[in-house]
Amino acid sequence: MNYPFWDVDIGYGLLMSIIAVVHVFVSHFAIGGGLYLVIVERTARAQGDQLKLDYLKRLSKFFVMTSVVFGALTGVAIWFIIGLLNPAATEVLIHNFVWAWAIEWTFFAVEILAAILYFYSWDRMSPRSHIILGWIYFASAWLSLAVINGIITYMLTPGDWLTTKDFWDGFLNPTYFSSTVLRTGICIMLAGLYASLVAAREKDSLFRIKLIRYNSYWGLIGLLIAMLSYYWFRASIPTEQMSTMLERMVMPWVAQDQLRLFAGVLIGGFIIYGFILTKAYRTTIAILMMTMGLLWFGAFEWFSESSRKPFVIQDYMYANAISVASLEQTQSEGLLSAITFRTGNDGADLFRRACRSCHTIDGYRPVNRAYAGTDIEFIAGMIRGAKAMRANMPPWAGTEQESMMLATHIYEQIDQRHIKDIYDLDGAELGEKVYEIRCGKCHEIGGYNDKTESLVDLTDEDYNDLLDEAGDLAEEMPAFTGDQIERDALIAFFKTLEEGVQK
Amino acid sequence: MNLYEASFLPAPLWIITALHIVTLTLHFIAMNFLFGGTVVLLLAKIHNKWENSSVATFVKLLPTAMGTTVTLGVAPLLFVQLVYGNMIYSASIVSGWYWLMISFVAIFSYYLLYAGSFTKTTKRKGTYLALSLIGFIYISLVYSSVFSLAEFPAQYHALYSNNQTGLAFNSDIGTWGFRWLHIVLGATTVGAWFVGLVGRNDDKVFTEAKKFFLWGMVATMIVGFVYMMTLGEHMLPFMRSAGIWAVTVGLILSLGSLHFFFKKRFLFSGIMIDISILCMVITRHVVRLLRLDGIYNPTTLPVDPQWSVFFIFLISFVLMIAVVWYMLRLFFKDTSKSAT
Ligand code: HEC
Ligand code: HEC
Repeated sequence: MNYPFWDVDIGYGLLMSIIAVVHVFVSHFAIGGGLYLVIVERTARAQGDQLKLDYLKRLSKFFVMTSVVFGALTGVAIWFIIGLLNPAATEVLIHNFVWAWAIEWTFFAVEILAAILYFYSWDRMSPRSHIILGWIYFASAWLSLAVINGIITYMLTPGDWLTTKDFWDGFLNPTYFSSTVLRTGICIMLAGLYASLVAAREKDSLFRIKLIRYNSYWGLIGLLIAMLSYYWFRASIPTEQMSTMLERMVMPWVAQDQLRLFAGVLIGGFIIYGFILTKAYRTTIAILMMTMGLLWFGAFEWFSESSRKPFVIQDYMYANAISVASLEQTQSEGLLSAITFRTGNDGADLFRRACRSCHTIDGYRPVNRAYAGTDIEFIAGMIRGAKAMRANMPPWAGTEQESMMLATHIYEQIDQRHIKDIYDLDGAELGEKVYEIRCGKCHEIGGYNDKTESLVDLTDEDYNDLLDEAGDLAEEMPAFTGDQIERDALIAFFKTLEEGVQK
Repeated sequence: MNLYEASFLPAPLWIITALHIVTLTLHFIAMNFLFGGTVVLLLAKIHNKWENSSVATFVKLLPTAMGTTVTLGVAPLLFVQLVYGNMIYSASIVSGWYWLMISFVAIFSYYLLYAGSFTKTTKRKGTYLALSLIGFIYISLVYSSVFSLAEFPAQYHALYSNNQTGLAFNSDIGTWGFRWLHIVLGATTVGAWFVGLVGRNDDKVFTEAKKFFLWGMVATMIVGFVYMMTLGEHMLPFMRSAGIWAVTVGLILSLGSLHFFFKKRFLFSGIMIDISILCMVITRHVVRLLRLDGIYNPTTLPVDPQWSVFFIFLISFVLMIAVVWYMLRLFFKDTSKSAT
C-alpha cells in the first residue's frame, strides 16, 4: 500500500499475459535456437554442406533479429510491467533475489554479445572459433534461464522460504528442477518450430524436406520432454496447495485441458507434416504450427500462473499486494489507513486496493453483473465473505465499516432496478436467479459447498426462518436482504429442489 | 505495513551503491555512443556523408551499440530499484503508460537501426537514423522526467491524486528540463568523441568530430551550470557536498580530454572523458540524496547480506569479463575467413 495504484482500463491479467507470453515465446526460442544452430553448424561443417551453411546464416540473421532485439526488450518490458502492476511483490522479489538477477545479468550480457558476434562472423573466422562462439551463446542463454526460473517458480511454490526466508530455500524451491527441465524441453521444441519457419521458404525442395524432417524431430523430442516433465512439475506442487487447486480452482484445469489438446495437435502436426506430407510444410503450415506452439506454451504459462491464485507469491502475498502477514492488522485497524496514496475518494481507493488488480466494475472480469439488482448491505456481506466464495479470492482485508464504504462505491455504479425487472423473470425462475446471485457464489447446487440437503422439503415457516437467520448461520454468510418478491420467489425455487439435484 | 522481506538490503549499502554507479557509468558511455553518435552523424556536414566509409562503419556499429546500451542499462536499474524502489516505482506508476512504452519504442528504434545498417540505398540511412533518434529522444525525456520525479515524493503524490491512469506527466519541467538538456548535450559531445575515433584517419570526419566535441562540451558545461543554479534550496548543501568536487574533477578531466582528443591521443582522452562521466554519475547520486534528505535515508535500511549468492555473482561477473574479452579477441584476431 506504499505505492500508487495504476488504474488502467485494460485488465491487469490481460496486460501482463500479453507481454509475458510474447516474451517467453521468443526468449525460449532464443535458447533452443542457439543449441540448434551450433549442432547443425557442426554437422554442416563436417560434411562441407554449403547449402546448409547458407540456410544457417539466414536462420542466424532471423535469430538475432528476434532474440537479441525483440526477446531482450520484451524482457525489459516484463520488468517494467511487473513494477507497474505489482510494485509490492516486485520489491519482495528484488530484495530477496537481486543477486540471482545480477548473476543472470552477467549471463545475459555474454549471451547478447555472443549472438551478435556469431551473426557477424560467418564469413570472418575459422569454423572452430565460430562454433565456440555458438556454444558460449547457448551455454549463457541456458544458464540465464536456469537462474530466472528460480525466481519464477519461487512465486508458485516458495516452499521452506516461507519459514526460513533463506535465499536458497526460495530459489531451489519444490518446482525448480522439474520446471527447469520442462522449460528446456520447450526451448528444444521451439527451436524446431522456428527453424522450420525459415526452412519452409527454402527453394530446393529436396533440401527443404530434409530440413523439415530433421526439425520435426526437434519439435517432437522437445515436446515429449516438456509434456513428461509437466507431470513431474505438477506432482512437485505441495499436496495442500494441489488440493486447493483441485477443490476450488477452475482455471488451471481448463488450462491443462488446453495444454493437452494443443500438445496433441502439435504431435499430430509434426508427424503428418513433418514425416508424411512433408512437401506441404510451407510458410502457411509453418505459421499454423507456430501458432499452435504459441497456444500450447500459453496454456502452460496459464496453468502455472493461475495455480497460485489468489496469491502473487503463494501463501505470502495476495495478488492485490496485501501480504498475509499484514492481514490481521488491516482487518482491525483498517485498510485505508495503510494506503499512502489516497485520492480523496475512499470507496474508489478501497476498490483499487482490494479488488482492482483482478476486476473492473464493468470491463475486465466485471463485478457489476454479479451485484446487479442487489443492495449495499448484501454487497458488503459478500465482500466480507469473499473467502467462502467458490472463486478463489483473497480474504477481505479491511474493516466492516470499510466494506460498507466499498459496497456503496460499487452500488453507485450497478444496475439498481429490481432483479425481477433486470432479468424479466417470475416465480421459481426468478427464485433461481435470486439464488444464483445471493447464494450461488458460495453454494453451487450439485457443486461447491452444496447446501441443497438443508434446503429440501422444509415448510414455508422453516424457509422464512432460514432466510431470517441467514446472517447468523456463518460468519462469512451475508444476511438475506432481498424484499418480499425476491423472498417468495426464492422459496418457490427451494420447493423445486430435490436432494442433490433440481427437480 | 513495511514488509521486512521487501526492505532489507542483501549486501552492505556501499557495495550496492558502487555497483550502481559503475554500471550506470558504463551504460551512459554506451548510450553516448548510440545517441550522441546518431545525433552527430545526422547533423555533421560531410560531403556525400552516407557514402563515406567511416560513417558507414559507424552506422554498422549502431545496432551493436544499442544492444550494449540496453544490456548495460539493466544492471543499474536493478540496483537503483533495490535501494530507491519505493520512489522509482511510485514515479513510474504516475507516468505508467509513458514508462511502459519505453520498451516498445526501443524495439522500434532498434529495428530501424538494423534497417539503416543493412540498407544498400545510402540515402535511406539518414532517414532510418533520424526515425530511430525520435525514439531515443522519447526515451530520454521519459527517463529524465521519471527519475527526476522520483526525487520529489510530494510531487508524485500530488500528481497521483489528480490522475490515477498513468497518464500524468511530470510537468515541473523546471526541475528536469536542464537535467535532460545537459545529458543530451553531454551525450552528443561524447558521441562526437566516438565518431572522431572511428573516423580518425578521415580528415573530413575528424574535423567535424572536433567541432562537435568542442562546442558540445561548451554547451554541456553551460547547461550543467544552469542546472546547478536551479537546484534552489539544495544548492548550498550541494556546494558543501562531495558533489561539487565530482563536478570540478569532471570539468578538469573534460578539458584534458579535449586537449588530447585534438592531438589524437585517444587512450588518454578516452580515459579522461570516461572518468568525467563517472564524476557526473556521482554528482547525480549526490543530488538525489540531497533532495531526499529528511524524506528517505537508505542507510537506515536493515542489512542482511546473502554472501553465498553474492560470491557467486562476483565469480560470474569476473567470468563475464573474461568471456567477453575472449570472444572479442576471437572476433578481432581470428579473421581467417572460412570459405563460407
Ligand atoms: C486475486 C484476484 C482477485 C481479487 C483481488 C478479487 N477477486 Fe473477485 N474474483 C476473482 C476470480 C478469479 C473470480 C472468479 C471469476 C469467474 O469465475 O469468472 C472472482 C469472482 C468474483 C465475483 C463473482 C463474479 C461472478 O460473476 O460470479 C465477485 C462479485 C467478485 N469476485 C468480487 C470481488 C470484490 C468486490 C473484490 C474486492 C473486495 C474482489 N472480487 C477481489 C479474483 C479476485
Ligand atoms: C459469502 C458466502 C455465502 C453466501 C453468499 C451464502 N452462504 Fe450459506 N454458508 C456460507 C458459509 C461459509 C456457511 C457455513 C460453513 C459451511 O457449511 O460451509 C454457510 C452455511 C449455509 C447453510 C448451512 C447451515 C447449517 O447450519 O447447516 C445453509 C443452509 C446456507 N448456508 C444457505 C444459504 C442460502 C440460502 C444462501 C442465499 C440466501 C446462502 N447460504 C448464501 C457462506 C455463504
